[in-house]
Amino acid sequence: MACPVTDYIASHSRSGHQFIPRMFQGFPEIKEALMSNKMQAGFMVAPMAIALRAQGVPIKIVYLGHRYGSAVVVAKNGPIHTFADLRGRTIAIPSRYSDERLIVFKALKQHGMSGKDVKMVEMAPPDVAGALAADAIDAFSMGEPYPSQAEMAGFGRVLFHAREYWPDYISCVLVVRQDVIDHRPEAVQVLVDGIARSGLWLDNPPRRQARREHAADFVGRYYFRQNPALLRWALTKPLDRVLYQPLTPLRKDFAVIVDLMRETGVLDRPIAFEEYVDPQFAERAKHETEWRYEPGDATAQ
Amino acid sequence: MKRIASIAFGWLVAITAAHLSLNVDWNVVRERRLPIAKRKLNVAYIPVT
Repeated sequence: MACPVTDYIASHSRSGHQFIPRMFQGFPEIKEALMSNKMQAGFMVAPMAIALRAQGVPIKIVYLGHRYGSAVVVAKNGPIHTFADLRGRTIAIPSRYSDERLIVFKALKQHGMSGKDVKMVEMAPPDVAGALAADAIDAFSMGEPYPSQAEMAGFGRVLFHAREYWPDYISCVLVVRQDVIDHRPEAVQVLVDGIARSGLWLDNPPRRQARREHAADFVGRYYFRQNPALLRWALTKPLDRVLYQPLTPLRKDFAVIVDLMRETGVLDRPIAFEEYVDPQFAERAKHETEWRYEPGDATAQ
Repeated sequence: MKRIASIAFGWLVAITAAHLSLNVDWNVVRERRLPIAKRKLNVAYIPVT
């Protein structure tokens, strides 16, 4: 969301478009596009970025996309009412290298269960709500707006939000190719600054409701090609369902992810924070202020 | 014969113009003509919030 919001508002500013946003339907495709240099930067789930770096792919995490905004959803009138009811059930996740998978493991552990107690299947995010409606899966663990989609359509119910088991939960991170960091740091800084300004703009407490409703409208229409009402639901019911502050990658947050990745067998060696995060851009972006743009304005600053 | 040729030519021009307008991303074309150091970054995202 921070990506299209930044592009849209920047396009109304004197500087114009600051980067070229490209929509993909799944994280594996983003991974391939980054590796082949078709994309120089991208938003992907944090464990995938860490795993790619551990495998030697020259990318680094430079910023976060958002915090929270993931949930486990079950059929509204189905047999699952508590976490324990998930035993023996099929849960869709976006990727085995996703925080949405790790949150299920975290909750399983807390309830004295293990990965063997559920069946997890990988599914492209846009397909999960339909799969739940068709009873092809029993639950899904996914980022917004797909939990909202199931809720809004009346067939899904949030069993739990990620924050209930994982304070300071991170899902999407912004990764950049190392050659771009080395040779075009100013372009990376422009991107990170823009995302930082959008985060501040979306999370300004007194104006959050109006700005998020406006963002839902233009992102739904011009970027995601989704019903703006769905994004409005995801961004405002409640307002802290997804947060865009703070977006600086913190060592303690990533330590939790790396530990869970090691425990669940998707990372085969320890990896130092400095190996997969380059914090210089986030450090400089700390001085940024929100976009000077309100719904209906013709220009932005 | 001349009339048929001019209609066919007009049709060809109209279809080509429509194609260039609807299917070609001119921002990308302009970017590709710039030196790498001046090109904007391509940033991938998926439709999640």
